[in-house]
This record gives sequence, structure tokens and C-alpha cells, in this order.
Amino acid sequence: MTRAAALAAILLLLALPFLTANQFYLHLGITVLMWTVLGVAWNLLGGFAGQVSFGHATFFGVGAYTMMILYLKAGVAPWYGIVLGGIVGALVSLPIGLICFRLRGPYFSLSTLAVAEIVRLVALNWEQLTSGPVGLLITTLPAVSFAGRAVNWESKIPFYYVVAVLVVVAMLATYGLSRSRLGAYLLAIREDEDTAESVGIDTVRAKVVTLALSAFFTGMAGGFYGLYFRYVDPDAVFPIALSVEMVFIAVVGGLATVVGPVIGAVFLVTIGELFRERFLVGHLIFYGLFMMLAIRYLPEGIWGGVRRFVSAHAPARNL
Amino acid sequence: MDTFLQSVVSGVLTGSLYAMIGVGLTVVFGVMRIINLAHGELVMLGMYGAFWGLALWKLDPFASIVIWVPLMFLGGMLVYRFLLRAIIPGGELNTLLYTAGLSLLIANLALFVWTGDYRTIKLKYALAPMRPFGIAVPIPLALAFGLAIVITAALYLFLARTDLGRAIRATSQNPEAAALMGVNVDRISMVTFGLGSALAGAAGVLLAPSLYLYPTVGEILIAKCFVIVVLGGLGSVVGAIAGGVLLGLVESLGAVYVSVAYKDTIGFVIFLLVLLFRPSGLFGVGKS
Repeated sequence: MTRAAALAAILLLLALPFLTANQFYLHLGITVLMWTVLGVAWNLLGGFAGQVSFGHATFFGVGAYTMMILYLKAGVAPWYGIVLGGIVGALVSLPIGLICFRLRGPYFSLSTLAVAEIVRLVALNWEQLTSGPVGLLITTLPAVSFAGRAVNWESKIPFYYVVAVLVVVAMLATYGLSRSRLGAYLLAIREDEDTAESVGIDTVRAKVVTLALSAFFTGMAGGFYGLYFRYVDPDAVFPIALSVEMVFIAVVGGLATVVGPVIGAVFLVTIGELFRERFLVGHLIFYGLFMMLAIRYLPEGIWGGVRRFVSAHAPARNL
Repeated sequence: MDTFLQSVVSGVLTGSLYAMIGVGLTVVFGVMRIINLAHGELVMLGMYGAFWGLALWKLDPFASIVIWVPLMFLGGMLVYRFLLRAIIPGGELNTLLYTAGLSLLIANLALFVWTGDYRTIKLKYALAPMRPFGIAVPIPLALAFGLAIVITAALYLFLARTDLGRAIRATSQNPEAAALMGVNVDRISMVTFGLGSALAGAAGVLLAPSLYLYPTVGEILIAKCFVIVVLGGLGSVVGAIAGGVLLGLVESLGAVYVSVAYKDTIGFVIFLLVLLFRPSGLFGVGKS
């Protein structure tokens, strides 16, 4: 049943670009999927382990810059750059995790915010590496062919499929994590960290590994951002707002679920982008509003609410 | 030597305003255990209050404080009563996320209504700085400094001497014990949140003539604010004052003797070090 639903969802995802030729809808689809990756990645740590990071922009920015710098200065093809961006993001997360996980609850959140600001300021000032506030620009993408046909980088469709693959992989990773031993450790940590430690769980290690996994996907999304927009600067990929938006997507969609962040991204990003298209500024009004409504009335998020509603109203059946 | 004196003076001047913002955040944390992420937006609202007061009604920014402070106090109490009160039982992380939502909502409403344009307040009497002993002191900053001292001192006396102030301190030390002694904790929380908002608004009004105004300025201010309250120890008023002045000094001396580009980084690095090694603040009075 769930397997059939997942298959249908993947088929719909793959078919979507053929249903519309409208460039704005394609762009919207790509943006939604990119934020889905970010929401899913943040949810690994924030949802399952209950560690609210306000600093995930760090890994996004590191991923984006890794891909850009490798391509512009070493000629590494962007698709390798995306994966390498994820790896570098994960590596960067290790020292950050070892420092920040000494703190708990809101103090952890504040420390990640401080780290993210430090990294942003370094990116802004380390001009030999990042070109500072000027940013990095890709003028041409390398020619490549897929299944015997040259990829047309002027079309949005190739980008759509790249990010769609990232979404599917990130969701599979979440599903795997939720059924693994590590996933069980994380739930124990979220519910009561001291008890988790007292039954022999290495809580710091579990959290650091999860942060690295989360940073890996966040970094890949950053690499994708660089590929799609072909331009990065510190204010675009390292701002506090970016970290905060990931949090909102995961929380509004539904924490610690596989589907929740997808719902959150579809819902919030669509509203946000339509608002931006119409009014130019203030597109995060509804992010703030729905966050407040969710915390007040629907703490388990939209998806959690749907599941509760369905299980309360569905006729009893044997599963 | 002149450069040193000059940076000390400007550090203390800016620091006094940081202190005011920090005190607002720390009082609220002390009583309610809320880390109010929307605090920076309250400062932003104060700044825009000063700006529009001058633009629409030709009201001197420093005089307009008598309008905005009571309004922000009232607004803060309403926010507590109708928005925050129901969230607080959900725990610290829930209030953190909730105020993050509130912060984004206020900042983006401001963007929507006032656009993202940078604005400045130009005052006729502020064109040239004063030069006592050869040290340049911008007049708006000096006025703001004076008023900040008056307001902070008044707040200190209020907390130390009045019954309401004692009740706030008692709640901050131990809410259950305070409730048992007949303190209405809910009412105290409402007043405290109003107080915190009024302080943020007042700091905004005072800062407005010295800074650029834009709707997302709160993001930078709140980050600085955390540095301040953690330096001084979360929940401690005196600590926040000291932390504010200290951050002002660190920034202005850091800009001169370390690097202009990295002056903001120094504050965050100190913040992390304090969180890790002295979580109760430099003076050991905060609550961790």
C-alpha cells in the first residue's frame, strides 16, 4: 500500500515536467524540490534527534562554494561538484558538531547560529578563495550527453531531474534512518537525553553522525543551487534567513516523518514564490504566520495532523 | 593613544545601547524562560517609529520616545496575553520556534509595508560631531547614551525598590516560590514582557539616528543581543549591562587593533567560548 503510493509519487515527480511548458511552473517545481531536500535534511537532526539547528546555512553555503570553486578553479564537473559539496559539508559539520553538541536545547540552537554567522563573515572576507561579496559566476556549463543526447543547459528540465534525484535519495535516507538502530537512538535522545546516555547510548556520537548526514544532503542542495543559479555570493547562500526557512519547512510539514518536510516545502515554498512573483518583497510573511499557527494548533505539523485525522476517522482494519 | 581613547569612547557609547537591548531580552528570559527571537524586530519597530515620527509629524526622534515606549509596553503585554501565554507550557524549544515565527512575520510585514529600502534619519543639530578633548563624539550617539543611562537607571531602581520590581525579581529567582508567596506570576509575566518590549523599542528609537534602517536589521541586532546576554549570564540585568558595554568595546577596539572585516566575528567567537566554558556568564550570575 505505502509502497504503491511511493511508486506513484515518484512517477508523478518524473512526469511533472511533461505536464507543463510554463517556465515559471518549472522554476517553481525546481525551487520546491530544492527546499524539500533542505527540509528533509534538516529534519534528520531537528526532527528525529530534536536538535534545533539555526545554522544549516553553513553547510548549504559550503556545498555551493565547493561546487563553484572546484568547477571554476580546477575544472571539476558540476555533478561531481554537487556530491563533493555534500562531502565537504559533512566534513565541516564534524568540528561544529563536536563543539556545539556540548550544549543542549536552546543553547545548542544559539551556538549553531553563532557558528553560521562566523562562517558567513569568513566567506565574506576570505577573498582569495570566495571572491568575497563579489561572488562567483559560472558563464558556461560543460557540454555533456545523457542517454546519447546532448543535455540542453538552457532548458530547466535537466535541473529538475537533478534535484528530483536528490529528493528521492534524501527521502530514502530518512526512511532508512527511521528504521535503523541510529534512528532509535535519536528518538531516545530527543525524549530524554540523560536517560539515553544512562542506558549506554553514545549520545554525542549519534548526534555528530546524524549532523554529518544532514550536512551531507544540505551541502548537495547547496551544490545544486550553484549549478542552477550559476552564481553564489555570501549573502545568498549563508544568511540566517536560509537556516530559519529550513526549520520552518520541517516544522510546519511535520517533524520526524519521511513525508512531512515534502508537504512543508510544497505548501510554504509555493505560497512564498507566488507571493514573491506578485509583490516582490515580504514573501516570508506566511512562513512566520504558519509557523506560529503550527506551534499553537498543530505541533505535529500538517502531515502529522493529516495522519491523526485519517487514523481517527478511518474504519478499523487490520494492517 | 588618541586612537585608543577614541575607540574606547565610541565603544562605550554604542555599548550602552547594546546593553539596553540586552537588558530587555534578559529580563524576559529570567521571568519566563523565553529566548525571544523576535526581540530584534521590536528594536526595528522602535527605529521605524522614530523615523516616521520625524517624517510625518516633524517629531524629534529623541522626543518621540515618550510616545513609542508606552505603545511598545502595551503592545508587548498584548503579544504575551494573546500569543505567547498559550505556548509557554510547551517548553523552551517551542517558544524558541514560535518567536522565530513571530520574528519572521514582523520583519516581512515591515518589508511588505515599508519596502527593503535603506533609510536614514538626518538631524540638523547632528551634522558635525562634538570634540571634547579632541575626541570626536557624534551628537545623536551622545544623546542616545545619556538617555540610555537614564532609562537603564530608572529600570534598575524600579526592579530594586518597588513592590512590582521585587515581584519580578522573585518570579525570576523561583516562580513556584513566588506564586506561593502570593505573586500573580501570570500578571508579572505580562508586565515583564511589556517591559522587555518597551526597552527594545526605546533602544530602537535611540539607535535610529545613528544607524541605517531597514526591515531586516533585527536579524543582526538579535545575534549581537545573544552575545551580550550570554556574556553577562542569561537572566542577569547587571550582567547584560556589563555584557553590552563589553561588546561595544570589543567591537570598536577589535576594528582598530585586529581587523575591520572581522570585528563582528570576535564577538561571536567570545560568545561560543563563554557558552562552552562559562555557561553561567563571565560573572557567574546567570542561569544555565
